[in-house]
Amino acid sequence: MALGGIIRGKRTTLRTPVEEDLAAYSRWMADLRVRRAAGVWHEPAMPATWKERLKEQAKEQRVVLWSIEADGRLIGLARARLGSLEGPPAAYLQHFILDPEEWRKGYGWDAALALHRYFFDYLDLKRSGFELRADNVAGLRIAEKLGYTEFGRGHEVHYREGAYVDEVWLVMQREPWDERFGKTEREYVPFGTAR
Amino acid sequence: MFGPRIVGENGIELRPPVLEDYKLFAVWQMEPEVTRFWGPRFTTETPENAEERFKKHLESNNSVTWSIAYQGETVGMTGLFDISWTSRDGETGIFIGRHDLYGKGIASEAVRLRMAFIWNEMNFHRAHNWIALANQGSWRANQKSGYSQIGTYPRSWFRSGEWFDEWLGEAFPRTFPADKLPSPWRDKEHPK
Repeated sequence: MALGGIIRGKRTTLRTPVEEDLAAYSRWMADLRVRRAAGVWHEPAMPATWKERLKEQAKEQRVVLWSIEADGRLIGLARARLGSLEGPPAAYLQHFILDPEEWRKGYGWDAALALHRYFFDYLDLKRSGFELRADNVAGLRIAEKLGYTEFGRGHEVHYREGAYVDEVWLVMQREPWDERFGKTEREYVPFGTAR
Repeated sequence: MFGPRIVGENGIELRPPVLEDYKLFAVWQMEPEVTRFWGPRFTTETPENAEERFKKHLESNNSVTWSIAYQGETVGMTGLFDISWTSRDGETGIFIGRHDLYGKGIASEAVRLRMAFIWNEMNFHRAHNWIALANQGSWRANQKSGYSQIGTYPRSWFRSGEWFDEWLGEAFPRTFPADKLPSPWRDKEHPK
């Protein structure tokens, strides 16, 4: 159930993950550049373990996984918890990982924008949240551009490279999405009178 | 894992849970008085699967759970959860199931004992938590043991026509008040 469907950006496409993606997933999780920037979705493992993880992911009721492609190449993954029982309907972005070889090409922004279009324009969610390491400048820039604001900051949260780094907690309400992208970022063209 | 017995003041202690405690926790979590700030008041827990939950928590390698006892009776639970062993950080939580005992300082004492253990026996670097902002008793209990507010999460829960924000807190060994260190850490020669 919770393997994501196709979401098309301008340069990237989020699509349903398949077993053939798993070798790349494992490689990214073992890459220190990825681990420095963000938390990993599982530790590196043998292919059979990854297959099992994908099978388990498919059973998840509320957490959705997508693979991200650009020009037909697998370049990353995104994973989000959708819905909320006690708060407003929301997405919580748990992982957004790009192949380090594909960094600084604008793919992160393109895929993030498309994914948030799905959250707000398709699922009609009221807000989205996620956490970033305070020195993840590229991630923070994308978040700010989308309309996220900081609501909390954990100090000395993650240990790596011999020191602790802070964690920034971000939330984006529906309003900034509507203001910034509501008119331009639509999943479908209006039905018009054909309804 | 389950935490060891730590004896505090005023008849309050932390102790390793027993199966009967788990059955009590499940019952309390269905009561309206207790779930104003602890939702969603429905469950998959049954008396039949209590043992399974008990074993799961006992064998967990990323959490420490205690029962809270007051005058010898189990009245709630507390613990450290989602432990990151590399960052030496974890999320703390507390739950007093006996709502007739609210306001007696049980939570404050339980938090003090829990944090003393986390800093002095687990050598942790940090702990954090999220608490309903309106649940002053709970976040004040944490503040007394060195937590400070690091953010506010807006509109986290809806109850009876009102949205409730959440108080985000964190604590470090250095923020624990030295004069509040309980035995046996306060006086290693004379353990309580």
